[in-house]
Amino acid sequence: MATTALEHELKEMIIETLELEDVTPDDIDPEEPLFVEGLGLDSIDALELGLALQKRYGITLESEAESSRQHFANLKSLASLVESRRQK
Amino acid sequence: MLRRRLNLLGRAVCDMLAAIDPDAESVILHASRHGDGERTLEMLYGLDEGEPLSPARFGLSVHNATVGVYSIASGNRRSQQAIAASGGEWAALVAEARGYLADHHSSLVVIFSDQPVPERFAAYAPESFSAAVALRLGVEPATTARCLTETPMAFDGPTLQPLDIIDWLMGWRESVACPMSQRGWQFAGLPS
Repeated sequence: MATTALEHELKEMIIETLELEDVTPDDIDPEEPLFVEGLGLDSIDALELGLALQKRYGITLESEAESSRQHFANLKSLASLVESRRQK
Repeated sequence: MLRRRLNLLGRAVCDMLAAIDPDAESVILHASRHGDGERTLEMLYGLDEGEPLSPARFGLSVHNATVGVYSIASGNRRSQQAIAASGGEWAALVAEARGYLADHHSSLVVIFSDQPVPERFAAYAPESFSAAVALRLGVEPATTARCLTETPMAFDGPTLQPLDIIDWLMGWRESVACPMSQRGWQFAGLPS
C-alpha cells in the first residue's frame, strides 16, 4: 500500500523529533506498532511526539490514556488523527 | 534505541560501563562536576522564549541521567549514585566507594566524567576538557590490581579532573591530590 504525503511527513517528523539514528522513512511501516514492538518507541517518545503534534499541527491531545493509545498505535492512526484534528 | 538520548560523553560512559561491568551487576558511582550544562542551558533558553519544555530534554537534564539510561539499557538494578562535589569529585567518589566496600560489597565501579561548561558560564569555572575514566575498586587483592592508598596531603593546586586521573593511571604522574579534602592518592606495590 502506497504511503500518503501526510504519512511521509509524519515519518520525517518522528525521525527528526525523536532523533532516531539509522532509521529512514522507508524503515517505518505505516501499519506496524510505533511503541514497544515495531519501531520500539517508549513513553518519553510519546510525550515528545505529543508536543511535536501540538507545535506543528495545533493538536492538543486529551489526557485520557486509551484514546492516546489508539492515536499512537501506528503511523496510519496517527495520520488519521492529524487529518481530522489539525488546526494548521 | 536509548543511545540516541545521550551526548558523546554519555555514550563514552555507557561504553566503558559495558566493558568494565559486562554482567551489569555492580554498584555504579558516577561523578561529574558540571554534568551536561549545554542541555540544561538550551532548556532554559527555550523557557525564556516561552517554548514548551521537551520531555526528553527535561528527563535527561538531571545529574543521574547517564547512569539512569545505562541502568535501563543494561538491566543493572543495583545502587547507583550521581555525585557533584564542586571540584572534589574524585575525593567524594573514593569516600562513597569506601562506604560501600565497608558495607559488604566486594567491588564496585566508579566513573568520573566531565565536559567543558557552556561558553556563557566559562568565566566561572576552571577550563575543563571532555573526558571520562572508569575504575573497578574492590577489597580483595588481585594479581592484576593495584593497591590504592589514601593519605592526608597539604595541597593547594587545581581541582582534579578526569584527565588527571587518566594521567595518573597511565603512570605519567606519581600521585593525585585534592585541594578541597587535603588528601592524596597513590598506588602501593606497582606491578613490575
